[in-house]
Amino acid sequence: MAKIGVVLILLIVIVAVFAPFLAPHDPTAQDLDVSQQPPVGFGSTSTEEVPVQENGSVVIEDGNIVTEERTVTENTSWSHALGTDGNGRDVLSRVIYGARTSMIVGIAGTLLAAVFGVVVGLTAGYYGGRVEDTLMRASDIMLAFPSLVLAIALVGVWGTAGIKIPDPLVVSGLSETIRSALGLAVGMPETITVPGTVIIVVALVNWVWFARVARGEALSLRGQEYVKAARAVGANNSYIIRKHVFPNAITPIMVLATIQVAAIILLESALSFLGFSGTNLSWGFDISQGRQFQSTSWWIATMPGLAIVLTVIGLNLVGDWLRDALDPDIGGEGGV
Amino acid sequence: MSLARFLLRRSLQGIFVIWGVVTVVFGLRFIAPGAPENVLLPPDVSEATRQQVAAELGLDQPLYLQYFDYIVGLPVGDMGTSLVTRTPASGRVLSTLPATLELAIAATVVAIVIAIPLGVISATRRHKPADYGATLFSLVGISTPNFWLGIMLVIIFSVQIGWFPSSRRPVGIGIDAILADLVALQLEAAASGLRDWLYYITLPAITLGTYFTALITRLTRNGMLEELGEEYVRAARAKGLPETLVRYKHALRNTLIPIITVLGLQLGTLIGGAVITERVFRWPGLGTLIINSIQARDWPVVQASIIIIGVGFVVLNILVDALYTYINPQVGEN
Repeated sequence: MAKIGVVLILLIVIVAVFAPFLAPHDPTAQDLDVSQQPPVGFGSTSTEEVPVQENGSVVIEDGNIVTEERTVTENTSWSHALGTDGNGRDVLSRVIYGARTSMIVGIAGTLLAAVFGVVVGLTAGYYGGRVEDTLMRASDIMLAFPSLVLAIALVGVWGTAGIKIPDPLVVSGLSETIRSALGLAVGMPETITVPGTVIIVVALVNWVWFARVARGEALSLRGQEYVKAARAVGANNSYIIRKHVFPNAITPIMVLATIQVAAIILLESALSFLGFSGTNLSWGFDISQGRQFQSTSWWIATMPGLAIVLTVIGLNLVGDWLRDALDPDIGGEGGV
Repeated sequence: MSLARFLLRRSLQGIFVIWGVVTVVFGLRFIAPGAPENVLLPPDVSEATRQQVAAELGLDQPLYLQYFDYIVGLPVGDMGTSLVTRTPASGRVLSTLPATLELAIAATVVAIVIAIPLGVISATRRHKPADYGATLFSLVGISTPNFWLGIMLVIIFSVQIGWFPSSRRPVGIGIDAILADLVALQLEAAASGLRDWLYYITLPAITLGTYFTALITRLTRNGMLEELGEEYVRAARAKGLPETLVRYKHALRNTLIPIITVLGLQLGTLIGGAVITERVFRWPGLGTLIINSIQARDWPVVQASIIIIGVGFVVLNILVDALYTYINPQVGEN
């Protein structure tokens, strides 16, 4: 099962990194002529009464317009394999580019939360006493907040400003050259929007899990012989934490980090769905758009959701495997 | 340690946690850009009017006084005035609470009724098709964002099949209305009220409950597997106790105890899930109120909502801990 997880994660990472090569269209390009086109294999045929035309004008008999039954096919095309959205944007290209936002927020948010939480947790666990008490009370307070509600409130306060950074694959001309050689559409977006505020917010509401795990580890490691020995030979505390405690606490932190990437991807998609998105190339944002077409075009909301489910399943499989293999007793909030 | 002393100590800790929540939430308003009174005023208002409105709302006071006033008001339920409706913020929150509680309780019931039998079946038929099915379900269940699941359910069961409504729940359908009919002995009205209630709550309850169903299935399965390998289970079997008794009286009982604690800690996730489920189904509850209030920058209502959820979390967890101590006296001792 873990292999399936690794394959899924690798697939999503590759898709995210090489989006400008893989996307069949510019994910932001609108083509209203083909809006709400179904995915390949889901085109439907129906019969419709249409006026009979002769020489470019309708035929009238006995005061009525003459009609005939004709079969109408909702077009599908391999050019838009997963269909198009309400503005005629290619769903597959948007799913491919959405992987970037999920990966950026998932990885950057987890790193930020891990760095902060681990520093606080190791310090508290190592020194004990009042430092530890303060941390544990602070983490009790954090746990009393529903993380999604706190995240919405913070994003509501700070806004969702994103930072645009140039996409090296496009700006260097690499992807455009290859695309035009292959006859694919060119003019892919030149920037990647990094939803900075969202990253900070998801880290702020999730650091406490890392602090708790790191504290527990430091607590059990500080009494070990080799830590005592290091102290006896005169190593200072910050050196001991960095060189002796941290490396031995890394395993459970890695397990937690894997699960947290999944939790943060779910949180980001929920925020985007609710309209607090730093970019509109995001799976959650696309699902909220697709919801407006739920009665006519099911695929617009379905496809990005499947992408989320597959990504999170991959991460959970790897997280479970790591946990079973390395460390049986840690927890962590699983999702939204 | 006696239960009373334990409860007292946990209550003091709980009050500290609630104070922390209040302080963080109070601080939230002041990191927001723009003066709070601007929410109420058109952008071209004169400075004099702006100051007058600020004074009316007490916003001209120094920060520590505003904080002090807020804290003093809390025990008597004064959580400020909604900037949008000019009514008490606590009243607005409490009026939406029943709808959210209905949804949360329905989802929890769905989860427990499905998950515990599923987890037990999965554990007692290990490596059989039923076990693989349950394991796959719980993996997919904890990996699915509930807003997307809600939309999928609407597309399948409302739009395509037409079993359930895709419209907002009308006013007047709710547990309170059913209870009122029951009290008035209008059984027919109560029955039709119950039908309507189920008609509107089924999809939202499944949407919110799926994650918890998956989670509890997984916890029950893993817990049962662990317990069934314990010495006391082997001893009970060796003694000749029927297998059903061993499984349900001994193993399942010991499995359920830690699950209760996990569920207490998941209340935050449940409320977070309710917020987003309400958005999908336009359910008239607390989540809808929170999101609307954040968008309208109606901070007193946002603050009141988060504080009331925080209080609920603290109280529920004290109750769970007390229950846990009662069931398993070793816990209270450290």
